[in-house]
Amino acid sequence: MASSSSSGLTFKLHPLVIVNISDHYTRVKSQLNPPPLTSTSATVNGVENQQQAPRVYGCVIGVQRGRTVEIFNSFELLYDPSTHSLDRPFLKKKQELYKKVFPHFYILGWYSTGSDAQESDMHIHRALMDINESPLYVLLNPAINPTQKDLPVTIYESELHVIDGIPQLIFVRSSYTIETVEAERISVDHVAHLKPSDGGSAATQLAAHLTGIHSAIKMLNSRIRVLHHYLVGMQKGDIPCENSLLRQVSSLLRRLPAIESEKFQDDFLMEYNDTLLITYLAMFTNCSSTMNELVDKFNTAYDRHSRRGGRTAFI
Amino acid sequence: MNSMEGLVTQIQGLSSTASDVLMLQNLLKQANDSLHAESTRLLPFLDQLDPSKHSLGYLYFLEACTAGPITKEQASSYVLIIARFLSSCVSEQIRLASHKFISVCKRFKDQLVLLGEPLRGVALMLTAIRKFQSSTEHLTALHPEFLLLCLLAKSYKTGHSVLEEDIFEVDQPKDLFLYCYYGGMICIGQKHFQKALELLHNVVTAPMFAVNAIAVEAYKKYILVSLILHGQFSTSLPKYSSSAAQRNLRSLCQLYFDMENSYSNGKIGDLETYVQSNKERFEHRLCIFYQDNNLGLVKQVVSSLYKQNIQRLTQTYLTLSLQDIANTVQLSSVREAEMHVLQMIQDVEIYATINQKDGMVRFLEDPEQYKTIEMIERIDSSIQRLMILSKKITLTDELMSCDPSYLSKGCRERQKFDFDDYDSVPQRFNV
Repeated sequence: MASSSSSGLTFKLHPLVIVNISDHYTRVKSQLNPPPLTSTSATVNGVENQQQAPRVYGCVIGVQRGRTVEIFNSFELLYDPSTHSLDRPFLKKKQELYKKVFPHFYILGWYSTGSDAQESDMHIHRALMDINESPLYVLLNPAINPTQKDLPVTIYESELHVIDGIPQLIFVRSSYTIETVEAERISVDHVAHLKPSDGGSAATQLAAHLTGIHSAIKMLNSRIRVLHHYLVGMQKGDIPCENSLLRQVSSLLRRLPAIESEKFQDDFLMEYNDTLLITYLAMFTNCSSTMNELVDKFNTAYDRHSRRGGRTAFI
Repeated sequence: MNSMEGLVTQIQGLSSTASDVLMLQNLLKQANDSLHAESTRLLPFLDQLDPSKHSLGYLYFLEACTAGPITKEQASSYVLIIARFLSSCVSEQIRLASHKFISVCKRFKDQLVLLGEPLRGVALMLTAIRKFQSSTEHLTALHPEFLLLCLLAKSYKTGHSVLEEDIFEVDQPKDLFLYCYYGGMICIGQKHFQKALELLHNVVTAPMFAVNAIAVEAYKKYILVSLILHGQFSTSLPKYSSSAAQRNLRSLCQLYFDMENSYSNGKIGDLETYVQSNKERFEHRLCIFYQDNNLGLVKQVVSSLYKQNIQRLTQTYLTLSLQDIANTVQLSSVREAEMHVLQMIQDVEIYATINQKDGMVRFLEDPEQYKTIEMIERIDSSIQRLMILSKKITLTDELMSCDPSYLSKGCRERQKFDFDDYDSVPQRFNV
């Protein structure tokens, strides 16, 4: 069903949409009563396979300026399984409400969850065509795949293709980029760093915090290394000298150090030393505990007179 | 003699590549007995061999030469020969015949002691050690010999340079005992009491099935050094010392234990009478302290009592007059008190200022603010060292967990306890 789109439109997706869809899906899934069956039990009650992954539906809204389509927000809709269509009156009401708050936003399309676009989706797609002549279909794949590197979000457009002599509407994939506003970046950061499993304990939060800083510093380091390599090449003469780039690099370097005063230096060194001391202490404790175990093992194995006949006095 | 000649030519021929040398080693092993039989007549053959190229063959010949009893005249010529050999031998070849090398070096040391010139051997032994050890963390049998030479020659600095290195591999336990004991004595000679304490502590807590004489001597010195350095001494040995040591060492060093009791009273008079009384009591039997060669240390202990008392004063008073110090510490005069305090300030044992106008001493806090860059570097390097050490310990811990004697004993014991009991056999799996 998917080849690449030829409409020439550029799509920009905001993370708020992704978070909304995933939130919707998670909420519905966790509120299901009874909980969705796993694949093994599904073989016992073979009928209820549908329960496995509930599909959620909603609308995406945004702005279209020229050839750029920017998807800002989304809201949920009810799906009526009997008529295989979305709840139209509800959609109208929501649309009016959103128009009041965001006058510039239009309904650009709809979203759903699943692993791939299906035939029944075309039905819904066609139904939306009266609001927007070329709606978008945003599909989120809720399956968790740890090896996957990209976001499991795909945007489909509809195109009229001639297949077996019959002109048909089919879904074609389009590429998109992620676009953020400052406020969104903060919230995404916040969501990303609180792991769902045991985000409350201090140790994991500290570890997560330090991991974030570590990766940030690593990235900074690699970029500076690239710059350095480039400058060395320029110095040696392998690369032609570009003054504008040199000016930019020089202005970048002049930004640091940001503060240069005695009090800052004092406080900075004190805090640095404190952190180092705590690391030292932690290492010490770790080392001592390993030593202790080693000594215990050694005593058990080789000391003839100690552990026989019951334990020695422990605190 | 023909066999000797043949051997010499073979050595000269087969000393170039590594495989040849291995072949040569087999030949030499077989010829070992004949070499020893001819030991008195081997000297001229040594001239035909070059120690730097034919180290292995030279070593075999040399070892056979020096096997028998040696007179003083022979000793000096042998010393020259061995010295030349040690300075020019090749480490790969001598490592193949490690026992012979060790025995040659030991005889070298004996001859030097016989001649009464230990200083000549110090530098040579050091080169021998460097060529022989596989890494700087390796303790060979040559280390204690070297330290003994340093002690006899009173060249403490050279000995100290070897002591700086950390040891992780030991060939023989006796080497470790002797090494740490001599090392402790060298450090005491240099007045590095902290390092001496560490080394002596190693001897006392080293694993041993039965108490040995080295450990007893080391324990006596350990008590004394601990008194000098810390002003106190913990009577129980730590948990990682062997049970043999824990039970027996105390009874063998009872005299020193009692000394510790009189030390902790803090009264200099008591201590001095104790020392005197023991000197007199055993005088006709060569007093115990003197016999142990610890009299020098004991005198240092007595003088260190003054220091401990002054240090105790810093915790009570902010300022104190010199007269009061002299009275409290039972020093004879104000001048002596001033000398003591001045010495301690110089050695950075206390922080104080002396006001000479009115004879008052003001005790200060440690001025270290821990805010400087030097402190950062110090802590950083300590952390690095600790990380390396931690890796080594984890490795040893894992090795120990796979040790069959541990597994057999540990698993057997577990069955006696309920699960509620404290787990005396820790079984933590590193994640």
